[in-house]
Amino acid sequence: MASGDRFAKLARMIDVRDVSRVYTRGADTVHALEHVSLHIDTGRFVALMGPSGSGKSTLLHLLAGLDRPDTGEVVVAGERLSALDEDALATWRSRHVGLVFQFYNLLPVLSAIENVELPLLLTDLKRRERRERAEIALRVVGLAGRAHHRPQQLSGGEQQRVAIARAIVTDPDLLVADEPTGDLDAKSAEEILGLLRELNRAFQKTIVMVTHDPRGVRFVDAVVRLDKGVLVNGAAA
Amino acid sequence: MTWTGLVVRNLFRHPLRTLFTTLAIALAIFLVCAVLTLPAALQAIFDRAASNVRVSVHHKAGLVYWLPFAFVQKVRTLPGVTAVNHWTWFGGVYDEPKNMFPNFAVDPDNVGEMWPDYRIDAVALDRFRKVRNGAVVGDVTMRKFGWRVDQEVTLRGTIFPVDLTFRIVGVIPSTTGNAVILLFNRKYLEEAMEDHGGLKNVGMIWLRAERPSDVDGIMRGVDALFRNSEAEVAAETEKAFFASMFSSMQGFIRIILAVGFLSVAAVVLIAANTSAMGVRERTPEIAILKSLGFRRAPILGGLLAESLAQALVGGLLGAGGAIAMSAALRAAGTSAYAQVLGPLGSFRMSPMVAGEGIAIALTVGLVAGLVPAWNGARLNVVEALRRLF
Repeated sequence: MASGDRFAKLARMIDVRDVSRVYTRGADTVHALEHVSLHIDTGRFVALMGPSGSGKSTLLHLLAGLDRPDTGEVVVAGERLSALDEDALATWRSRHVGLVFQFYNLLPVLSAIENVELPLLLTDLKRRERRERAEIALRVVGLAGRAHHRPQQLSGGEQQRVAIARAIVTDPDLLVADEPTGDLDAKSAEEILGLLRELNRAFQKTIVMVTHDPRGVRFVDAVVRLDKGVLVNGAAA
Repeated sequence: MTWTGLVVRNLFRHPLRTLFTTLAIALAIFLVCAVLTLPAALQAIFDRAASNVRVSVHHKAGLVYWLPFAFVQKVRTLPGVTAVNHWTWFGGVYDEPKNMFPNFAVDPDNVGEMWPDYRIDAVALDRFRKVRNGAVVGDVTMRKFGWRVDQEVTLRGTIFPVDLTFRIVGVIPSTTGNAVILLFNRKYLEEAMEDHGGLKNVGMIWLRAERPSDVDGIMRGVDALFRNSEAEVAAETEKAFFASMFSSMQGFIRIILAVGFLSVAAVVLIAANTSAMGVRERTPEIAILKSLGFRRAPILGGLLAESLAQALVGGLLGAGGAIAMSAALRAAGTSAYAQVLGPLGSFRMSPMVAGEGIAIALTVGLVAGLVPAWNGARLNVVEALRRLF
């Protein structure tokens, strides 16, 4: 899926420079991230680990262009995200980032293949081309035979595969996954981690995954640990 | 998968909810169309029933008071008057008291001249003049009682102490302004009343002017003629006569209009609440769509499209239902049910009213959907994801 040229051009997929993010919750101020610097090379499969409230998801949201830092800079796939307004950031996400969530979050009114097609509505592709690409993505995740099933007719593992197909259908530079195995049984969790690994290896997808699952360590190239908003184990992955 | 497909799928996410909201909109639009039709329909009734060259002359104290029959001769002398006729309410009932309908004793000689808009054919008018107990009857009444031309029918007098048997000699077509009345020769009633003290009065006198511009002069002439007489009279155009009969309905119509629009306002609130509920329930999905890269405009557009599509369907159903009702009333208005329907049988809904109904429905959709859709489009994706996970 990813082209070799692009892979060659972008040796460094992620560059996080001295980023801090502070939330206000009621009267409380939460320092979610404090002066975090991190870079991740293209084609790496990296796990973000740490206890609850350590800032993993906040960092993931910043990398995915869903949120903005209060200070510092986030550069992903060569794009300085702070320079983009909300709509431009949305457009950038649709082209460069694939997202996978813990609870799959498929649209219940759409079939599996229609869910996968959804991000392609934002492209100029014709209807037939959108359908072809969605079929390919479903084949990649091993669910070609369940294309016309509704999410509620699929198991948790199958739904997560559909969510992964939806994340890769636009051929993004970066795949971010927030606890992708958090709602799955052990067998399904292994399968999903294996699938992510496969995508990383076969298509050189850069993947950043937030996980509590210790099994995840076996599948990734590097683990970045956070605690109380601070990096624990180095700035490069 | 297309944008339209996505909107349609979302609309059918909760089919019952969508159905009930759509039906609520349809019902409100149906009401609005019916209510908007009311003033125009009443005007149409007046226009059909009344001529602007006919003048009615009746007792100033009200329609139930008699005028001396001699007044008929007096008004013939007024300048501009081309025909004079009169109505004497017989109050006859057919078979049983519930079968009361308007039946009047008239002068058969110039019925065609006085009421050309009744379109009674010449042969029937000729027989009406010649047959002493002849009667011309409105088509609606004919059908109601299953009468036919040449049949003899007996009406029992409720005002006069006589029963009269009439031979039906002609029909007033249902397409005219007065297809329920029965007209018969006054002389027949006079003869019947000879043993009961005779008939020296008349209920109402009708004058026909040469042209509309003569009407004011004739009315002034009538007033002058009978001022300080034994029975003071009121003269007015036929249109004014009918309008005054219905004038008390104007306030009633205003109330109906207000109620109609209040019901629309209620539906807006219902639809807005349903829409807001739908958006709230779909917060996770909207957050996911935004995270996938959907910008505010398509999300706003999609949510608004759902609301507008639902309102459009409701509007089409409501306006369509109102058109169907109007057509059904029109059909029933020319059938045996005409008397039961009364003025409703003359209701006509214009395409303009249907268009207004659909426009109101779309406004309902826009107003009801705008705020929830706007909130959905402005959803902070990180906040939403944080709440969700």
